[in-house]
Amino acid sequence: MKANILPGLLLILLLVALPAAAKEIHATMVYDDVATDTAAARDEAGQLWITTADLKRATRFEVKPQGVCRDELCFPLPKARQQEFLRKTPPVVWFNLTAFAALVHQPVAHDAALSTWYFGLRADQRQGLSSLQAPDFTLPDINGKPHSLSDFRGKKVFLVTWASW
Amino acid sequence: MKDAGPWIDPLKYADSKPDLPKETIETAKKVGPLTYTVLIDEKHLVSKLYNMVNVPTGVWIDEKGRIVRPNEVAFVDDRFKNFSGLDSAPYLSALKDWAEKGDKSAFVMSEDRLREKLSANDPNIAQAAAEFGLGEQLYKSGHPEEAIPHFKEAQRLNPKSWNYKRQAWALSDAKRDYGTSFKEEVDKIGGSKVYYPPPELPGEKKP
Repeated sequence: MKANILPGLLLILLLVALPAAAKEIHATMVYDDVATDTAAARDEAGQLWITTADLKRATRFEVKPQGVCRDELCFPLPKARQQEFLRKTPPVVWFNLTAFAALVHQPVAHDAALSTWYFGLRADQRQGLSSLQAPDFTLPDINGKPHSLSDFRGKKVFLVTWASW
Repeated sequence: MKDAGPWIDPLKYADSKPDLPKETIETAKKVGPLTYTVLIDEKHLVSKLYNMVNVPTGVWIDEKGRIVRPNEVAFVDDRFKNFSGLDSAPYLSALKDWAEKGDKSAFVMSEDRLREKLSANDPNIAQAAAEFGLGEQLYKSGHPEEAIPHFKEAQRLNPKSWNYKRQAWALSDAKRDYGTSFKEEVDKIGGSKVYYPPPELPGEKKP
């Protein structure tokens, strides 16, 4: 009789423990063309939840009282929809990076099998063209030295792209 | 145009195959000092920011950082004339005219025309860039096969982009993985002589 009870108890314990452990996955997120891996992400039907610590590490954005901010840039979170973006499970605060992307009109591409998310240019980064101002960029030359388009202000610039294919 | 820069010439200094730049950069260094700046854009940032769809693509930017001629085919020599049928002389002459006359050059586009050409804020184009970026990330992290559906999605969402087609084909066996080839696709649109839409250059310059 005693021998029969023990496996029953073990089975119950396992059932309780598994769903919580299965929630966290390894994920790769590419933000501003930089890839960051995390061992603690949650994929909820394609929605990527990460810790606010990973948010800062991967995107340099931080959650502040006034919104989600990076340097001078701040996107307020709609008050009535806070739960779409933030979830507190002390000591961790989770942030829904895909919901934030939708808020700032940022395209997201997702590969479910490889748990990889790519975040494209936000609307504020795409507005440059309609203002007729040439979008600035910084890229390395063949010796690795960075150059920005804005370094050439005051001169005419003929910008040409080629490819190697 | 000696003082104008930067311009990017990845014909020699590649941005497409991740394993190519090292070799081509070494070759480039032997060429010696250049009168223009050459930049390497491994992540296709410039194409993404400027919505470029092919190479060579040129943009003219004035002293204040304003676009005065947006994306257009920009041959500065005749090395592909046999393929494209485009003579570089009229474009070069227009470029020199602008270098001398600035805003007074007839080749500077009107603000209305610029807005017309630059206003396309199509969400599909932005989504295509994200799918392409994801394909690149998967390819570079050792998953070339998994990259293919994302490259295909980028091509579907932005069918005008030859960059998305040619980059994806260059990273795979185009026939096997995409059921096509550059030649077949060029033939489909009517051949290499219509592959590049010629730049819109006014016939006569302002006096």
